[in-house]
Amino acid sequence: MSRVIPTTVGSYPRPPWFREYLRKVEGLQKEGGGGIDEATYAKAVAEVIREQRDAGVKVFTDGQLLWHDLLCYLATRIDGFEMNGLVRYFDNNLYYRIPKVKARLERKRNIIVDEFRVAYSIEREMKAVLSCFTLATLSEDEFYGNKADLVMDIAHIMNQEAKELVKRGAKYIQIDEPSLLYAEKEDLSIMKDAIEVIRQDVDAKFFLVTYFSDAERIFPEVLDFNVDVIGLDFVEGYEKNLDLLREYGVDKEIQAGVVDGRTTKMEDEEQVRRKVEAIDEIVDGETLYVSPNTGLEFLPYSKASEKLKVLCRSVGDINE
Amino acid sequence: MNRRLLPTTVVGSYPKPNWLRRLIREYEKGEISDKVMRRAYDDAVKAVVKEQELAGVDILWDGEMRRDEMTSYFARRIEGFTIYGEVRVWGNNYYPKPAIVDELRYKDELAVSDYKFLRKITDHEIKVPITGPYTLVDWSFNEYYRTREEAVYALAEVINQELRRLVDEGANYIQIDDPAVPTHPEEIEVAKNSIEIVTRGVNAYIGMHMCYGDYSKIYPEILEFNVDQIDLEFANRGFKDVEIFKEYEFTKDLGFGCIDVHTRRIESVEEIKDNIRKAFSIVEPKRVYVDPDCGLKLLPSEVAFEKLRNMCQAARELREELEG
Ligand SMILES: [Zn+2]
Repeated sequence: MSRVIPTTVGSYPRPPWFREYLRKVEGLQKEGGGGIDEATYAKAVAEVIREQRDAGVKVFTDGQLLWHDLLCYLATRIDGFEMNGLVRYFDNNLYYRIPKVKARLERKRNIIVDEFRVAYSIEREMKAVLSCFTLATLSEDEFYGNKADLVMDIAHIMNQEAKELVKRGAKYIQIDEPSLLYAEKEDLSIMKDAIEVIRQDVDAKFFLVTYFSDAERIFPEVLDFNVDVIGLDFVEGYEKNLDLLREYGVDKEIQAGVVDGRTTKMEDEEQVRRKVEAIDEIVDGETLYVSPNTGLEFLPYSKASEKLKVLCRSVGDINE
Repeated sequence: MNRRLLPTTVVGSYPKPNWLRRLIREYEKGEISDKVMRRAYDDAVKAVVKEQELAGVDILWDGEMRRDEMTSYFARRIEGFTIYGEVRVWGNNYYPKPAIVDELRYKDELAVSDYKFLRKITDHEIKVPITGPYTLVDWSFNEYYRTREEAVYALAEVINQELRRLVDEGANYIQIDDPAVPTHPEEIEVAKNSIEIVTRGVNAYIGMHMCYGDYSKIYPEILEFNVDQIDLEFANRGFKDVEIFKEYEFTKDLGFGCIDVHTRRIESVEEIKDNIRKAFSIVEPKRVYVDPDCGLKLLPSEVAFEKLRNMCQAARELREELEG
């Protein structure tokens, strides 16, 4: 039996007071970041960390409280991107601005380092969440003309960012890649190389996390990716992902998304527990991370902690 | 229905007057009474109806002065829904996302009193917009029904009851707002069945409004929906979508969104005339209804008015040209 560790994927709904605060200081249209008082922000981060901790989470995320554009938020901090019109984010009633690649991409300033610093000062078991392939895929490329070059340049930028994050104490780097689940086979070899670049000289545990669908299109190639943990969606793709793990085996750790981060309906704890046990039977990593399948920002604030409590209670006594 | 050539209409919403917004905020803080607030809404409707009349709109609605938003407004009035809190749509924009927690049942009227009030204050034809069951379910959580499909059909029965009541009160033109339909082409059958239920026994002219989304994925399938008119946005994407509808014979009336609600630029009469002419490549002029792409609520009042006025002027001039 592995050690079962509850964790979160990334986003967390903003506390209502902070939501109002952002609406006031930023208005409805502007990009995130400007004019936000750091102490106020820190207070909000502390609150969502406390919500996670009270529920029983052991490895945390900062909730991405300043992110306006899901993974595309990263693009607002990278030179060479320009932000454009709104598009639907996968099948969610949620939108992001399409980043357009207008010039060679460059990291001229911190991307999430400053946010991480705030979160890390509150909680050390903190994941830093980045993205590479998905960011490239959701963008419109008007400069590179070639996906591999675009992905590789983003990988170099994420590598610089990861190094900076590790300097500030980060032990866990998570790369969120939902787009990989819809990728072509040649994209997988690009991503494999990209991960080598992102990891170079970065001493941290690496998570590659997918969601919104099963992982059929990335197996078995993903098993050769140089990451420590693979995150799979066991809500949208429970049977399929179990089959894939059975068929190919896996010598990495798994982060299993076992409760649905996109519905307020609360799962039966016994059923979640059985799910976790079934997964644990197949994988034999030292640790099995369990989480909601997606970030939690799809839920109203009060329901996010309830969801996490269901998750944590359902695996509560597995470790004993 | 309106037999005039190229009737002009609105999709539904109109900018709320600033004084009304302020009163709503005070009302939410408990600073003014229900009665005063009701009067304020009535006054706002009168003002907005007058503006639409002055702009020259033939078929109008009350500007949705009383509706805060197109999902939760209805959800609050239907049994089986609850609202836990707000969920983000984008950036700092949120909406109170309803959750279905029990069997959906008709509880309270949704638009009947709005319709009756409006009937009293205008002689114009009236169109009653109501959010469709497919969209309401898509934009809600479902904790109760086993499948989305079941939830959609249950809600369709509720909306059907409301439409029958509206018709009993005299309404003869109803618009089902279903912007979520083009975003899930894989569920087009469910949407179609839901419209079948919604319109059962409803003796009125039925329009269906959809905006955003990729129309090519739902065309020509939407022609099979049990509605008289399909109303779509065209200006927002520079009328590129016109091509999609040329491929098969368009067998419904066409609500043709010919002015862009996402820009404050006021289109000239000539420009709008050219825009409307593009509709004639899809259907003959007598099947065309002229309207903005979508609700006008996000525009400043003066801009909304100017846009509407030019739109109506364009329709009038074209009408004269066509009738010779
Ligand atoms: Zn619309």
